[in-house]
Amino acid sequence: MSTGVSLMLTLLFLTLIKSVPIVYAALGGVISERAGVVNIGLEGMMTAGAFSAVVFTNLTGSPIVGLIAGVFFGAVLGFVLGFAATFFKVDQIVAGVGINLVALGGAAYGLVLIFNQPGASPQVTQLAPGQLLPQITTGETAMIVLGLLCAFGLNWFIYRTPWGLRIQACGENPRAVTDAGLNPLRLRLYSVIASGALAGLGGAFLSICEVNLYSDGMTAGRGFIALAAVIFGRWTPWGATGAAVFFGFFEALQYVLQGRISWLPSDAMQALPYLAALFAIAGLVGRVRAPAADGVPY
Amino acid sequence: MRVVLRVLAGPAGALVLAFVLAAVAMLIAGVSPLDGFGALFAGSLGGRRPIAETLVQTTALLFPALGVSLAFRAGLFNIGAEGQLLIGGLFAGAVGAHFAGPGWLVIPVLLLLGMVGGGIWGGIAGWLRARFNASEIISTLMLNFIALSLAGYLVAGPLKSPLASGAETAPLLPNGYLPAFPTLGSISFGDTRLTISILIAIATAVVLSFVFTRTVFGYELRAAGEAPEAARRSGINMPRMTLIALALSGAVAGLGGAAIVTGVLHRFNTALSPGYGYTAIAVALVGDLNPLWVCVAAFGFGILEAGGLAMQANAGVPKDAIHVIEGLIVLVLAARRYFATRATGAPV
Repeated sequence: MSTGVSLMLTLLFLTLIKSVPIVYAALGGVISERAGVVNIGLEGMMTAGAFSAVVFTNLTGSPIVGLIAGVFFGAVLGFVLGFAATFFKVDQIVAGVGINLVALGGAAYGLVLIFNQPGASPQVTQLAPGQLLPQITTGETAMIVLGLLCAFGLNWFIYRTPWGLRIQACGENPRAVTDAGLNPLRLRLYSVIASGALAGLGGAFLSICEVNLYSDGMTAGRGFIALAAVIFGRWTPWGATGAAVFFGFFEALQYVLQGRISWLPSDAMQALPYLAALFAIAGLVGRVRAPAADGVPY
Repeated sequence: MRVVLRVLAGPAGALVLAFVLAAVAMLIAGVSPLDGFGALFAGSLGGRRPIAETLVQTTALLFPALGVSLAFRAGLFNIGAEGQLLIGGLFAGAVGAHFAGPGWLVIPVLLLLGMVGGGIWGGIAGWLRARFNASEIISTLMLNFIALSLAGYLVAGPLKSPLASGAETAPLLPNGYLPAFPTLGSISFGDTRLTISILIAIATAVVLSFVFTRTVFGYELRAAGEAPEAARRSGINMPRMTLIALALSGAVAGLGGAAIVTGVLHRFNTALSPGYGYTAIAVALVGDLNPLWVCVAAFGFGILEAGGLAMQANAGVPKDAIHVIEGLIVLVLAARRYFATRATGAPV
């Protein structure tokens, strides 16, 4: 195989792998914002997922349990934000910033408390590390397929089921939901819990599937990039998935280009996915419309 | 009862909560809160050196917190103080490494450069919001990461000091060092890291307080934040206000970066901030976005930052517990209303 073709294949596989955590978090962002809650805490929920997955894998020896723990603790933070954003009517952005500080500090605190080593956890069992394709593990393949299923499921749920339509209504006009005899606050709460669960799953992928440990700051803003993917994907599950893959591509590109372009050092190229997200949200001038009641407490 | 609740829902309640949570964090780590707080306060207030270190941390938090307050008062979520701080420090460090001259010239120029750097970084977010309605929340966050890669690239490459083993700029020439804090009676701070930058920070707070309450610009800025629709209808140029507010907010944070470079590090590297820009959001909220109260809040958080290290070393409580507490304070304070409406905001 010529080097060009193998390089393209590497880029393709890396794009798939790097997209996974952003896709999960972006789908979480879609369901939360469709219900009317802006979830800046996605980053923190990913951190919680990544850290708890390592802790529980270490505890039980089973990465599957770790994955479930990641989902659970992401959902717990989702519950905190959801509860605050609905029944306490807090400012969602400020609360989300708080969630991020708590999660990042909590993981660093937990590293010292549980593993007695700051910075990074010891190595744990990785999720199905066997090679399925040349550059992609069985675990990663499973998570890619699951991610696509989640996108498909969320799309079906939001547009084709009564509860999905009600959740959409919570984001557009919560008053109408009340008039229909339902409690929009409760629907918003459920949506943000689901959002946290998805972000937690994305975080768990980072720590026990892509690698086999947790290190401080390993989410590296992917939760925030996922927020940009939600906007770029216009608040639709497939749109957000596509946008997440687009940003994942730039992250993969950075690895592939590393050392190949002498005048473009790796430090500067680390900015690629963030620059892509910045341009993406700026390039949508006047062409996007968020759910009408997105970010507005009811 | 209602009065008690209202007080507890505010900054005072947040501080009470902080102490309760700190005690819980110590208990989880298996440390008696008495020992934990003992170490924390001994390490932050127990003597001349600890107090000096607390004030160094206070200063580092105060500049970005003032910047954050300014943007929040204008109804703009600047979550990018971290990046603005870094770029401000980068500008000061890059020029300071080669700028020979008398101190009265070098120091103001370096501080001004910090403001310019931070102002540009905040201004980019402001321009994107004003011109393209791109959410400043996301753009400032992205710019934090971009700032870190840019600075990391520059100090590892073009700006790297040939003498240093690590990635950092060449040291400033001594004329660029901020003077030590003046001697108070018989107490000298010459052997500590405390400089006059704390006085510059407090002066900035006083100026901002004056601008908010006594000038037309401050009135318009607050109007833009508290009643955007009314402000727009009364003829305030909202896109222009957005750009100016975010640029100014970044400039204040950038000044903080330059103050750390000229006052503490005497060179620039990316370890300049262990997250001051994020903690600053908590500081600004605890200070109720009022510059003078933000000073008090910064002192409180300065105690936590300086004491946290001592608490970790002497009582065995990981210092990261401090950041959990800060986050919980922000969560609690989110329940207060800071903005009239988000309905007119950019899509997030």
